[in-house]
This record gives sequence, C-alpha cells and structure tokens, in this order.
Amino acid sequence: MDGNNTFDSDLIHAIFKHIWARRFRERERSDAIDATEAEIALGTTKKNRLASANANALKLSCELLKSFVSEAVQRAAIIAEAEGMDKIEATHLERILPQLLLDF
Amino acid sequence: MGSRVPIETIEEDGEFDWEAAVKEIDLACLKTTNASSSSSSHFTPLANPPITANLTKPPAKRQSTLDKFIGRTEHKPENHQVVSECGVNDNDNSPLVGIDPEAAKTWIYPVNGSVPLRDYQFAIAKTALFSNTLVALPTGLGKTLIAAVVMYNYFRWFPQGKIVFAAPSRPLVMQQIEACHNIVGIPQEWTIDLTGQTCPSKRAFLWKSKRVFFVTPQVLEKDIQSGTCLTNYLVCLVIDEAHRALGNYSYCVVVRELMAVPIQLRILALTATPGSKTQAIQGIIDNLQISTLEYRNESDHDVCPYVHDRKLEVIEVPLGQDADDVSKRLFHVIRPYAVRLKNFGVNLNRDIQTLSPHEVLMARDKFRQAPLPGLPHVNHGDVESCFAALITLYHIRKLLSSHGIRPAYEMLEEKLKEGPFARLMSKNEDIRMTKLLMQQRLSHGAPSPKLSKMLEILVDHFKVKDPKTSRVIIFSNFRGSVRDIMNALSNIGDMVKATEFIGQSSGKTLKGQSQKIQQAVLEKFRAGGFNVIVATSIGEEGLDIMEVDLVICFDANVSPLRMIQRMGRTGRKNNGRVVVLACEGSEKNSYMRKQASGRAIKKHMRNGGTNSFNFHPSPRMIPHVYKPEVQHVEFSIKQFVPRGKKLQEEYATETPAFQKKLTPAETHMLAKYYNNPDEEKLRVSLIAFPHFQTLPSKVHKVMHSRQTGMLIDAMQHLQEPTFSEQSKSFFTEFRAPLGEREELDTGLRVTNDPKDLHSVRDLEVNTSQRKAKQVESPTSTLETTEKDYEESSPTHRYLFSSECASVDTLGNVFVMPVPLLFFPNVLESDNTPLPKTEKQHSCRNTSHIDLVPVDTSEKHRQDNISCKLKERFSPDGASETLETHSLVKRNSTRVGEDDVANSVGEIVLSSDEDDCEGLELSPRLTNFIKSGVVPESPVYDQGEANREEDLEFPQLSSPMRFSNELAGESSFPERKVQHKCNDYNIVSTTTELRTPQKEVGLANGTECLAVSPIPEDWRTPLANLTNTNSSARKDWRVSSGEKLETLRQPRKLKRLRRLGDCSSAVKENNPGITEADHIRSRSRGKKHIRGKKKMIMDDDVQVFIDEEAEVSSGAEMSADENEDVTGDSFEDSFIDDGTMPTANTQAESGKVDMMAVYRRSLLSQSPLPARFRDLAASSLSPYSAGPLTRINESRSDSDKSLSSLRTPKTTNSESNQDAMMIGNLSVVQISSDSRKRKFSLCNSANAPVINLESKFAAHAQATEKESHEGVRSNAGALEYNDDDDDDAFFATLDFDAMEAQATLLLSKQRSEAKEKEDATVIPNPGMQRSDGMEKDAPSFDLGLW
Repeated sequence: MDGNNTFDSDLIHAIFKHIWARRFRERERSDAIDATEAEIALGTTKKNRLASANANALKLSCELLKSFVSEAVQRAAIIAEAEGMDKIEATHLERILPQLLLDF
Repeated sequence: MGSRVPIETIEEDGEFDWEAAVKEIDLACLKTTNASSSSSSHFTPLANPPITANLTKPPAKRQSTLDKFIGRTEHKPENHQVVSECGVNDNDNSPLVGIDPEAAKTWIYPVNGSVPLRDYQFAIAKTALFSNTLVALPTGLGKTLIAAVVMYNYFRWFPQGKIVFAAPSRPLVMQQIEACHNIVGIPQEWTIDLTGQTCPSKRAFLWKSKRVFFVTPQVLEKDIQSGTCLTNYLVCLVIDEAHRALGNYSYCVVVRELMAVPIQLRILALTATPGSKTQAIQGIIDNLQISTLEYRNESDHDVCPYVHDRKLEVIEVPLGQDADDVSKRLFHVIRPYAVRLKNFGVNLNRDIQTLSPHEVLMARDKFRQAPLPGLPHVNHGDVESCFAALITLYHIRKLLSSHGIRPAYEMLEEKLKEGPFARLMSKNEDIRMTKLLMQQRLSHGAPSPKLSKMLEILVDHFKVKDPKTSRVIIFSNFRGSVRDIMNALSNIGDMVKATEFIGQSSGKTLKGQSQKIQQAVLEKFRAGGFNVIVATSIGEEGLDIMEVDLVICFDANVSPLRMIQRMGRTGRKNNGRVVVLACEGSEKNSYMRKQASGRAIKKHMRNGGTNSFNFHPSPRMIPHVYKPEVQHVEFSIKQFVPRGKKLQEEYATETPAFQKKLTPAETHMLAKYYNNPDEEKLRVSLIAFPHFQTLPSKVHKVMHSRQTGMLIDAMQHLQEPTFSEQSKSFFTEFRAPLGEREELDTGLRVTNDPKDLHSVRDLEVNTSQRKAKQVESPTSTLETTEKDYEESSPTHRYLFSSECASVDTLGNVFVMPVPLLFFPNVLESDNTPLPKTEKQHSCRNTSHIDLVPVDTSEKHRQDNISCKLKERFSPDGASETLETHSLVKRNSTRVGEDDVANSVGEIVLSSDEDDCEGLELSPRLTNFIKSGVVPESPVYDQGEANREEDLEFPQLSSPMRFSNELAGESSFPERKVQHKCNDYNIVSTTTELRTPQKEVGLANGTECLAVSPIPEDWRTPLANLTNTNSSARKDWRVSSGEKLETLRQPRKLKRLRRLGDCSSAVKENNPGITEADHIRSRSRGKKHIRGKKKMIMDDDVQVFIDEEAEVSSGAEMSADENEDVTGDSFEDSFIDDGTMPTANTQAESGKVDMMAVYRRSLLSQSPLPARFRDLAASSLSPYSAGPLTRINESRSDSDKSLSSLRTPKTTNSESNQDAMMIGNLSVVQISSDSRKRKFSLCNSANAPVINLESKFAAHAQATEKESHEGVRSNAGALEYNDDDDDDAFFATLDFDAMEAQATLLLSKQRSEAKEKEDATVIPNPGMQRSDGMEKDAPSFDLGLW
C-alpha cells in the first residue's frame, strides 16, 4: 500500500464519479424510454444517484486497480516477449484478458 | 354597451397614455375630463387607487385624439417627460430592469412558413403586449403563439428582465417550453424549466442565471415566498390554463405576492375556458389583475377559418339490462331513506328516481344551515345518517349508470367495509341483495353497454383512419373505469395500442403515474408508440397533440368547461370528432343541462366582457416614449433540444482535462481505443484468441482463480469437438499423455530437480500449482489437464476430449494426457536454460511429437517408414520395415509439420498436418512463451534440443533399442524410439539419422507386428494401454533419447509421489542415471511425475499410479487406487491388461468414445477390426509408451503395462541401453518400476484381463491379455519373469496371442533382454526388493480386486 506505487486516489475517485454520473444519466434515459419500469426504480435511483466512496474504500480500490493493471501489463508483456516484441499490443492484451478478468 | 365597447378596447392603451399624459402633460386636453368620467365607470373596481386617482381615465379614443392633436413638436417634450416619469413610475423596475431603447422601437411578430399569420392572434398579441390580458381562445387556436410573442418581445425589450411562463403541470411545462421555442426561438441558453423536480438550491441559481422560466405555479409560489425568485426583475408573467386561478390556487397567490411587492409586470393569462359562470370569470380577472379580456369564439369571423370542423356526437347508450336491474335494486334501497327524509320534512323537491348525489348534498347543506323547524333535535342524527346513506347510494347509482357495474360494485364494496355507511347498511337486506346481484352480473362478464359501444366506435374509427397516424383519447372521470376500458381495449386486437394516462396520486387499488411516466406516455403517444390514450381529467388540459382526431368521452357528466377542454384535444390539425357517450336518463339530461349553461356564459364574454366584468388597471410597461412598431420577422429557429438531451450533450462534448497533459501519441492511442465513434471496432476483444484460453496464461503476481479454471475447462470442452474431428489420429492422445507426463515431469523436476527449478521459475510455479492440484485431488488434476487440453489445439482436444470422455468415469485420465503434453513443453522450455534439462525436455517434447507420429506412422505410415527402416535397420527385418516406413513417413510428415510449427510458432500448431501435432506444438509454444524461454519458436528450440538429445540418446539408445527391438519385443520401444527419432529427424536434418534409426526400430516393431496379425494386436494392446500409453508415451518421449528411461522414471516418480518411496526411488534412479542419465532421470522424474499426474488424472493413470504406489510402498494408496480401479471394473481390468489405461478407458463408457475414435483412426490406419484398431491405437500408444517405459522399465516399468509386452522388449533394449547408458541404479529403478508395473499389471491383469478377455476374447488381444496376465502373474512371481512375460506378451501379441510365436520373438528378445537384463539384473536385485514390496503391493491390489 505504499503510496508511491498506487494510483492517485483523487484520480480514481474522479473516474468513479464520472462513471457514476454516466450511469445515472443512462438510467435516466432508459427510464424515460420505458416509463412504467422506471417508475418503480425512480425513488431509489435518484437517491443513489451519486454514490460516494469513503477514503478507505477508495484506497482499496486504488490498490485493486493497481494490481489489476500491473497484472494485465505483466501478463501481456509475457506474451509480447514470447513473440519477441518489445511493445505490448492490444492483441497481447486480448490474449490474457479473459483469464485476467476472471482472476479478479 | 355598444358604445362602450370600442372605448374599452382602446381603454388600456388609454390608461397608460393617460398616466403618462396626466402626469406629464400639463393641462392638455379638455377631453380628459370627459374621458375620465366616462371611463371611471369601467374602472370602478380599481385595484390601484393611485392610478385610478391619476387616471381619471381618458379612453383610448382620447389618446389617439391626443396624439393626433398634439403635434410632433409637442411629442418630443412629452417623450422626455415620459421618460422621466417612467423612471419615477417604474421606480421598482427601472433601476433593475433597463429597457433596450433600440429594441423598444419595434415589436416583433413571427412569420414562419409553417405558421401563417392569423389576424386574431396578431390582434390579441398586440393587445397583450401593453396590458394585462386574459385570452380566452378556444382550444387549438394558438394561445401559445400569443404567449410566445409577448414573451419574446419582453425578452427583447428588457435585456435584464426575467420572464415566467407558468403552466399547471409538468407535461404542460415541457410542452410549452418547446412550443415557445419553436415559435420565436428564444435562445435556449436563456430558458429553463423549473419544476418541483429541480431542487430549490439549484432553482435559486437558475433564477439568477436564466431569463425565461417555464415553471409550475407551485414552484413559482414557493420561490417567490422564499425569495429565491428575483421578483424585481420580473417583467412578464404568462399564466396558462388561467381558469384555475380561483381561490387559493398558486396562480392567485403568486399574483398577490407580486402585487404586494409591488412590482409592475405584464400578466398574460391564457385559457380556453375561463369559466362557466360569470362569477368565476370575474374571480379570475380579479385574481390576475386582468385589464383586458380577449375572447374569441369558434364562430367569430376572424377565427372560424382556422377552426377545424369538430363533430360533436352525443351517443345515447341504453343502461343495459344488467345495470338496469341493479339500478332498480338500488332504488329499493334508496327509497326507504328518501321516504324517511321526506317524513322528517326534508324537502327533496324532485322525483327520487332522478335525484343526483349533488342535489342530495345540497339538500343536506340546506338542512344543516337551517334545520327543520318542527324536527326534534334528537332526530337530527337520523336525518344526517339518511342523507349520508342517500348520498352514497346516489353516487353509486350514478357510477352505475355512467360507468357500469364494476366501478359501482367496487365503490359499494368499499363503502360497505367501513364507516357509517357500512354500519347503516350492514343489516340491510336489500343492499346485500343488490351487491349479490352485481357480483353475479360481474361474474358473467357484465359487458357494459358503454364499453361495447366505445369499442365499436373505436374499431370503426380505425377502419377509416390509419391506426398508425390516427390518435384517440378516451376520457373517463374515474380511474376504475379507465382500468376497465384498458382491459376492454386489450381484447380488440393489434391496431389499438392503448395506454393509460392518469394522475400521480396512488389510490388503494390503482397506482398513479409519476409525471415522468406521464411525459413518457405522451412522448410515445406522439411518436406513435400508442394510438389510444385512456385518460382521466389530467389529459383534458393543454395537451397539444395534433394527430388526435377522435375524442371519446366515456362519461358525459362533467362540467361544460371540462367538456370543452376535452373537445379541445381534437380538431387541432384536422377535422376532429368528439363522441360523448351518455347513458340514457339522468346522465344525458344532466349533460344537456350543463351544455346549456356553458353556452350562456359565452354571451357574457362577448365584446371583451366589458359589460359583464370589472377590470383592473395595469402598467404599460413600455414607456410611451416608445411606440413600438410591428416588425414581422421570420425566425430561423434552432432545433429544440430537450433538456435532458442537452445535458447529455454537454457531457459528451466535454473535453477531458487530462488530455491536455498527454502527448500527441498518447492522445492518439487514447483516441484509438476510446474516443473513436466506432468504438466497437477497436474494443478489446475477449474472444479473439480462444486457443489461448485453453491454457492458463502465465501469471505475474495474481494467481488464476477458480473461475479461470472453469473458463479453461469450458474452452477446452468447447474446442474438443474440433480436436476429435481434426485429429482422429491417436497422435493427439499420445501427445496429450505425453504432455501430461511432461507436466508431471516438470512438477517432479521442480520438486525433485533443483536444476529444473532453477531453469524455470514460471514452470515451477505452474508445476507447483499443478502438482498441488494433482496432489490435492483428482479434480484439481482434471483442471490442470483441462487447461492443458485447452492449450492443445482443437484437434488434440478432441481426441483428448474423447479420451477424457472415456475417462470421465475415470475423468482424470483423459484430461491428464493433454496437460501433460503441454507441461512437457513448458518443462522443455523451462529446461532450455539448463542445457541438460532442456535437452531432456526437448527430448521429451520431441518424444511426444515422436510418439504421435509414431502412432500414426505405425498405423498409417509404417510401410513407408518400414522401407527406410529396413534399409537402415536391416536386422529388424523387412516385416518391420513396412511399419517403420509408414512410421517414417508419418514422422517425416510430422517432422515437417513440426518444423513448420517451430518456424511459424503458434501458426505451426494449427498448420501442422496433424492437428494434434500442431496442438502439441502450440501448447509447447505457449508453455515456452509462458516460461519466456521460447523467444522465437519454442518448437525449434525444443526440436533442436530434442534433436540433439535425440541424436545422442536416440542414436545411442535407438541402436541399442533397435537391436533389442530387432531381437523381438524391443521393437515396441524401438518403434517408439524410432518414432521419436523420426520426429526429431523431422525437426532437424540431423535428427534424420536418428529418425531412421528410430524408424528402423519402429520398423522392427512394426515388422514384428507385420509378421503376424500381431501388429494389430500390438496396437490393440497398445490401445488398451492408451491409458498406460499416456505414460508409455511419456516414456516414449523420454525414451527417444532417454525417453524410455524418462517414461519409466515418471512411473517411478508417480509411485514415489504417491508413496514416499517414489521420491526416493526416483532419487535413486536419478543418481544412478545421474551421469549419463541425469537428463534421463530428470526426464524420467518429470515423466514419472507426469505419469503419476496422468495416473492420478486418469483412472487408468490412477490405477497405474496405484499399482506403482502399491509396488513402491503405499498399500493404502494402492488400495485406494485399486478401489478406484475396482470402482471401474472395466478400467481396472483394462489397466490390468497392461496398457490398462486405454483398456480401462475403452471399457468405460468414455472408453467407448475412445474406442470409436481409436477405431476410426485404426480403421483408417490399418485394417484391423475396430476393437483391435482401438486396442491397437491404444496399444500403439501404450506400446510406444511401452517401449519408452520399457526402456525405463527395463529399468523399472517396462515390466508393467507396457512391460508385459513392450516392457520386455523395451526393458531389454532399455536395460541394455540403460546398462550402457545408465548406471545400476537406473536399472534398479527401472526394474523396480517394471516390477511395480508388472505387479500392477498382474493385479490389474486379474480383473482387467477378464474384461480385456471378454472384449478381446475373440481377438488376438485377448490372447495377448491372457499372455499379459500370465506375464503379470509371472511378473508377480519374478520380475525377470515379468520381463519374460512381457516378452511373451509381446510375442503373443505379435503372434496373435500365439505364445509360440512370441516365444520365438521372446527368445530373441529374451536373449537380448537377458543380456541386457543380465547387465540390469544386478541392479534388479534392489529392484527386486522393491519389487518384492511392489509384489506385495500388487498382491494387495489383487486382494483388493
């Protein structure tokens, strides 16, 4: 958890908030589209709108994301290395991605 | 009145003019006095005393006259004064809200192509600009345009002014904001809609930042009261649906508040139905401080051209028999109460039949206000209760008549549940009967005549009109009947897409619709998602839906005002039609009555209502200095963007701040993956490399999860079919086992061999994981195997899968082989760093490859190879040559493939002629990749290493083996070796030499087979051995150079693993072999491990392992294994047969599949019968393994499964080789292995033999098995005997179970073997000891069996 190696928690928080906001907007849109379904959820979604994360959760998220990203890079690097390339391409990532996603 | 009319119309202008004039202009016109006198009457109810005082109003005429009289010269001073005056006058406003003098010179009236100018609109707008106006315009005539024009001009004139448009509901707000935008195009950045959904703090901010507000009156009221609304800046207030401005409605409160400030602002009130009574209209005028009433009727000359024909039909619907009955019953209930009331002296002035609840209510009020004089006070309660009951009953009756039985029934039921009515009626028989009757009728469906009539109308309507473009609104007063209508509509087919449109409040039974839903409903209704709306009163006002061409009023009993509103929903764009469904009788009558009263009010509003109403003065707002001239402007209006979308767009267009910090390259990269509009195209794919998902990818720090294992398993299973299809050959199978072995070996190496560990960390991890899995449970092994399978190419998988399937009962076995293959590759790759280990690994790999080719070659290409082999290995004999030739060919082809694979890498795998091979390569590659050792092409490295090793070992061993093989039984191992050699050869030219040798060996073996039907038999036994084959294959791999040894070693290792002894044995073996065999031992160890793993994985393998374990030490282990085996009797038997795994697999259900596969392959490859072929296939593998094992086994296992037949040969050869190559230890180990194997074979032979016999009884295999059994038994007796037995087995196999033939071969083999054995014998004693142990173990096994 050394601060140097983890992501900036502010950045992660900003990303989270961005996603939350977008989720909310999407939900709103879908609500408008199909109103009857939305009605039930309305009360809750609105209140859930902008979720927040407390500091520890954020810290943990940073750590998780860091390990995820580093693992992804490392695995992809292994593949890339095996192919004799010194640059990780998307295809390398694609190869390890399914298992990587399942590992997390 | 007539005289007044003109005056009044101009009056407003006059007022302001007068204000100005009176204040500014000195004396002036004499007429002012006259005017004031005349106008005073009109302004009697002036709200603003000062104004009135000032005013003494000159009528408009005066003004005009004034203007006329006053010359322009006069005008200018006037203007100055006016300006100053205005400053004084507008003290509240002017400092805050400045007038744009430029803009004030004109007022703008929009002329859009789509909106032709209408005179009445123009006139009304002009009026409304300068005075507070109540616009009473029939629906659909464009009130909104007037409002928009006024708003826009005030928007222009007062750059800081704020304009408010209030509409009573959110849908209307949203509708109006768009309508206004489309008319005059007020920039959207200045407009905002504020409803209760906008939080107050945000509203406060918006009030400051925006200028045009579309609000609900409640919000406006709240914000004014809270002060967040900047009232001082307000210049214009538009009130829609102004007829609501009665009592304490928010409209009234708002205006009162604003007037109290006080501020001057323009008020424009819009309504289609100002009211049905004069008092109501006057109330509105008072409440809204209206000074002008602009009223137009459909019949007015300037309006009528724009009024679409609206046909109003009143359809009288009979009450219906059912309802009639109920109604009569109800009347029975009513009558006693009415009579009682009358007896009390209450004056119910009408026939009680036709009384309405309203009338009863009125009577009650009257009674309450003035109790009947003669009535004792005590009776008042009775009267009250009678009234209450009557009101309820009449209400029910009304419901019954206008909406049908169901709503009435529900109401009655509800009333009967609680309250005074329930108490009163609880014992009333009539009401109970009535209720029963209603219930009865309802249960029969009780089609309401209104409903059926309505459906009829609807259907007719949609027959005429296109259901897609036509819209219908059905109005009903009660939600209950809305629901009934909805139910009815749901039954009449597709052309009616109906939805309900109701208010927000949620009742007990029916849930309301939120405003959001209401809007969504309207949206869909506009767009055509629905073509019928069933609405309550909420739909009556303001909905501007052009396409509505039919309105059905389900109940006629509504006020004329509401009826007008209802009617106003149609006839907007096209001719409309209004159908009023009225029940005959009371409903119809009341409808007619109300319509009549509605018509009467219209008269009052004629001519501006000046005769009937009192108006209030209002400020002109625009100083008289400015005389705005009309300017017709055509607006180019931007597309209206609904607010929600607008917000989304804002988000979308936001350029992320972080982009500024990125380099162009990074930005480009980002854009490539994220900002591309065709995001999908560049999205990272999860399915791009399915093959990679069949192997566990190498990990960095995070280990694979169980889900990953499941994915890998699933992927392997998914790709199995391809395996089977592509590779019918046994190669895959062989390879798979080999791979498993390799894996095992790797694991062993990691654990046992520090060198290996050093070499491959990743491998270690993998192996450790694998080991852990294997050790932990068969399931774990299965997982690993599955992963391996996944790694292997589809064809391999298929075969493997089939194997797995066959094993499934055994489950582990099938899976095992594939993983082994992969792992070996990994091991090899891992080993690469260490030349020795690498070589070993490579050898193994090559051996694997070789094995596969060998099998194929044995089957198919033996002939071709045999020729070559013959040439090279003349001793082996022409008989073998054929087989060897085929083998050689296969090998060559395989080699070629391998080469290609090496070169191409992954591609090679796929490209390989044999998918299996390709698969193997791929796994290898992947393994290599994982290990990181395989930079370029693992195959090449491996191949090279293999080649080198192979060259060394194979060459060395192969000759030995060949010799042995030539001698007889050795042929199998030789074949295997040869195959391996061939593979190696294929890999490299240098290997060719080896391959020939191997091929020769193979040829020999094949020759032996060829000599007699034995080849098939061989194959069959091999097939039986398939399970063992895996091990055998492993052995083979090891044997190619050290493959034999390795194979044997794996067995040992397996044993060792299971039993603590195994490790020691392995160690012993390893040390013994260490020098020459270090590699071998390692490989063996690996192989052993693999074999063990495989064993564990596959039941057969398990059996083997068990056997081994038993032999080695663990009676428990063996017992368990045996138990497992016993569980699968067939398996066990098969296993026992020697090459048991295959046999087991075959015997098992999964085996059937395997058999089929084998058969296919065999059939294709050789003429042998299916079983034989299968067996052969399995046997081939086992054989191949056998030889390897034999070589190893000769040291150890050859005795066992392979051992029986192959082991002898191989053992001999191997023993010889081992003797040559390896030290005593190795021999001992081998011997021990062989012993173990023999024991196991013997053990297995007992049960398995039977199975095998049963299966192969007809076939030579049976004989072989028997021989095996015999051998096993012999083996049990003596290890050497076992070897002999094996030889015998081989012989028998070769000779179709003819021991005599075998004996010949055996004699040769024995001679060779004996020689070798003799050399090995020395080590054997130790082995024998172990064998003794092993024997015990087998005995245990037998006992278990």
